[in-house]
Amino acid sequence: MQISTHELKSNIIESLKLQDITPEQIDDDAPLFGTGLGLDSIDALELVVMLEKDYGIVIKDIEEGRPAFRSVNTLAEFIAAKRPQ
Amino acid sequence: MDKLVIGAASQVTEADLKSARLGSRFGRLDLQSQLALLAVESLGINFDLLPRERIAICLAASAGSLSTDVEYWKGRDAVGGPSPTLFAYTLPSAAIGEIAIRHRLTGPNLCFIGGSNEVLLEAADLIQRGEADSCVCVYCNVVTAGAAKIIQAPPTTNACALFLKRGGDGLRELREFDRDMKSLCALISQTKSAG
Repeated sequence: MQISTHELKSNIIESLKLQDITPEQIDDDAPLFGTGLGLDSIDALELVVMLEKDYGIVIKDIEEGRPAFRSVNTLAEFIAAKRPQ
Repeated sequence: MDKLVIGAASQVTEADLKSARLGSRFGRLDLQSQLALLAVESLGINFDLLPRERIAICLAASAGSLSTDVEYWKGRDAVGGPSPTLFAYTLPSAAIGEIAIRHRLTGPNLCFIGGSNEVLLEAADLIQRGEADSCVCVYCNVVTAGAAKIIQAPPTTNACALFLKRGGDGLRELREFDRDMKSLCALISQTKSAG
């Protein structure tokens, strides 16, 4: 089941408590870490918590989630594939 | 003994955070770090004009990190567990790190748990010993409702900051009996608003 990238970006903003950033300002293909949104390793852990809380997806091995965390689009695809029906 | 001068002083409360604009990552800081950072920002010091490795940071936290500890602990039953971000702030000295990162200060630092009486004394000592030329002094009085229940103290959320330096111009000279940083910041702020 596909998920809206707008909704996902809103959830990221809320989970990471990003201030003065709107979903429209986040490029769906831009890197989430390093450049782009400039997230760090603690944000990665916070995103893991968000995936469980908001989408019911448990990531036991952070390496499993690494490719998914490349951008909003890759994360949306990951959620669509792993989300419990 | 060198003459020590108070270069700037500030006071902030939780209400001031609503209008604070300190970047997109400010929201992820715990309340204590937010207040400490805002208090330092309110000093209006241009750190670009000073050698950053010669600027110390002394911080006192009245209740350590108890308020953040309580907040973190509340998350233990939540789906996904407690917030990893908040975990990073379950140390009383976390605010020192945030101040140092934001202003790229690399001088020595000290953290105290308790009242606001030690900070000035230790900061003055650091400068007099030649370990630093100036010191960012911060007192955080953060006791949220959850923490207040535990230590049976009234809830309070505020912070004050003071910039102490060796010689030069400033608001006034640090006097021998200046000890309580909170009262001193309040006094200076009153004098400034009256003037």
